[in-house]
Amino acid sequence: MTGVAGVVDLSVWQLGLAVLLVGVLIVISAWQALGLERDLLVGTVRTIVQLYLVGFILASVFAAAQWYWVVLVLVAMMGVATQAAVSRLKKPIPGRYEIAMVAIAVSTTLTLAWVIGVVVRVHPWYEPQYVIPIAGMILGNAMTSAALAGDRLQADLRTRKEEIEAMLALGFSGGDAVRPMVRSAVRAAMIPTVSGMMTVGLVQLPGMMTGQILAGASPLLAIKYQIVVVFMLAVATSVASLLFVRLAISRYMTPAHQLRSYLL
Amino acid sequence: MKVTDVRPEESGTGISAVPSDATALAARDPLFQVDRLSLAYPGLRGQPPVSILHDVSFAVDRGQSLTLVGPSGSGKSTLLRCLNRLVEPTQGSIRFKGRELKSLNPLELRRRAGLVLQTPVLFEGTVRDNLRMQPAAARADVSEPRLQHALVEVGLDAEFLDRDGTTLSGGEKQRVTIARALLGDPEALLLDEPTAALDPPNATLVVEAIAALRQSRGLTIVAVTHQPDLIRHLGGCLLYLVKGQVQAYECIDGRAHTITDVRLQAFLAGESPQGGR
Repeated sequence: MTGVAGVVDLSVWQLGLAVLLVGVLIVISAWQALGLERDLLVGTVRTIVQLYLVGFILASVFAAAQWYWVVLVLVAMMGVATQAAVSRLKKPIPGRYEIAMVAIAVSTTLTLAWVIGVVVRVHPWYEPQYVIPIAGMILGNAMTSAALAGDRLQADLRTRKEEIEAMLALGFSGGDAVRPMVRSAVRAAMIPTVSGMMTVGLVQLPGMMTGQILAGASPLLAIKYQIVVVFMLAVATSVASLLFVRLAISRYMTPAHQLRSYLL
Repeated sequence: MKVTDVRPEESGTGISAVPSDATALAARDPLFQVDRLSLAYPGLRGQPPVSILHDVSFAVDRGQSLTLVGPSGSGKSTLLRCLNRLVEPTQGSIRFKGRELKSLNPLELRRRAGLVLQTPVLFEGTVRDNLRMQPAAARADVSEPRLQHALVEVGLDAEFLDRDGTTLSGGEKQRVTIARALLGDPEALLLDEPTAALDPPNATLVVEAIAALRQSRGLTIVAVTHQPDLIRHLGGCLLYLVKGQVQAYECIDGRAHTITDVRLQAFLAGESPQGGR
C-alpha cells in the first residue's frame, strides 16, 4: 500500500490499466467461445471489492494495534478457512465442521506461536504487520491440506472397504485396519508441500519473498523469511492433515472396531 | 407360520425360529443365539432411518450349520456380520456360547468366528505372508508346519506357500483366505457367498474344502449362499429372509429335501420374482 519508502504507489488510473488486461481476457474468452466471460467479470469485481475491503479492515487494525482486534481478525480468518476446507470436500464427512475447525485452529495456532514467539520474536506479540500475513499463509495451506487429506481418506476408505473388513475379520484392531489409508491420506496432503520445497526459488519466487523485495527489502533478508515460511508451512500442513484424518477416522470407526460403512 | 413369535424363553428349547413340529431338532448347545435382533442405519442428511433387519431370532447349535437365503438386499450379509460384531445391531441380543456379544472382546470374537468374504482379499506378498497376517496380540501359531497344515486342510499343496498371491486363481485365493481364518482356531466359520465370485469347477473345490473342514474340525457354519451345491453339502437349517424379516425357517433332514414352505421352495428353485441373488 502507500507510505513505504521505495514503493511506487498506484493511482486509480494505473489500476484501471491492470483491469484492461482482464478486458483482453474477456475478449479472448468470447472469441474462443470459452464461455468464461461472465465468471471473469464477476471475478474481476470480486477481486477489487474483496481486496479493498480487506485493505480497509487491515489498515484500521494496523492503526489501532490492539491485541483483541488482531485476535478477532484471526478468528474470522479461521472461520473462513474452515468453511472453505469443508466446501472443498467432494463428499461430506460427518462432523466435518468441528473436525476442520479443530485441525485448522490447532495447526495454525501452534505454528504461528512458534514463528511469532520463538523464531521471529515479534514485540509486541500481536504486532499485526507480522501476525496477520503470516497467519494468512498458514491458514491457506492448512485449509488446503486438510481438504486434500479428507478427500483422499474418504476415497480410500470407499475403494478399500473390503480390505479393511478382511483385516477386522481377522481380529486386527480398527487402527491397524485403516493404517494404510490414514498414511496415504496424510502423504497425499503433504506431497505438494514437500515437492514445493524441492523447487522453491528455482521456478518462481515465492509470493511473500516477491512482496518483500517489491517493498524494498534486500533479497538476502527476504530469503531468510522465506526459509522460515517454507518450514512453517511444512509443519502446518502436516499437523492439519494428520489431525483432520485422525479426527475423521474416529467418525468412521467405532470403539468396537467396526467400520461405519453406511457413511461412505 | 410366523417363526419369530417363538422366543427361546417361551419355547424353552433354546432354538427360537423353529416351528413346533421341528422341536426334535432343538439346539441343546447353541453356539449362536440371536434374539429379536433389529438393525436400522441412521438416515443421512435428514432422511428417515433405513431398516435393515427386523425382529430376527434363531439359534445355531454347535457343530451345526445354518444357511441364510433370500433375495439381494434382504439383510443376509448384514446379519452374518452381526454375529462377529462387524456390524452393531440396534436392538435385540446375540449370545456366543451363552455370553452376550457385547461383553466379549470383539477382536477375540472375530477369531473365534472367522468370516470368509465373497471376494477373497489377499494382501501384498506370498501365500506365506498372507497366512502370517495375524494380529500380534492373538499370538497365533504361524510356524511352517502349521501353515502347511492349514493349506492342506483347504486342499492346497504346501508348495503354495511361496506363490505370490496375485498368481492364484479365484478358487485358490478363496481357499487361502479360509486357511488364514483357520489359523485363528475358529469354532465357527461365517461364509458370505464364498463361491459366488467363482466359476463352477472352482466353486466345487471350495465347497468340498468347506464340507471337509466341517467334518474334521466340527466347525459351526453360518453361510449366506445361493449355491444349491453348498446348501446340500452343509445340510442343517435354512433361514429365509425378505426385507430383513424372517419368512421361513426349515431344516433339511438328512439327505432328503423336506422343505415344506412354498416360498422357500420357490426361492430355492430359482422361481423368486426378485431373482436368485
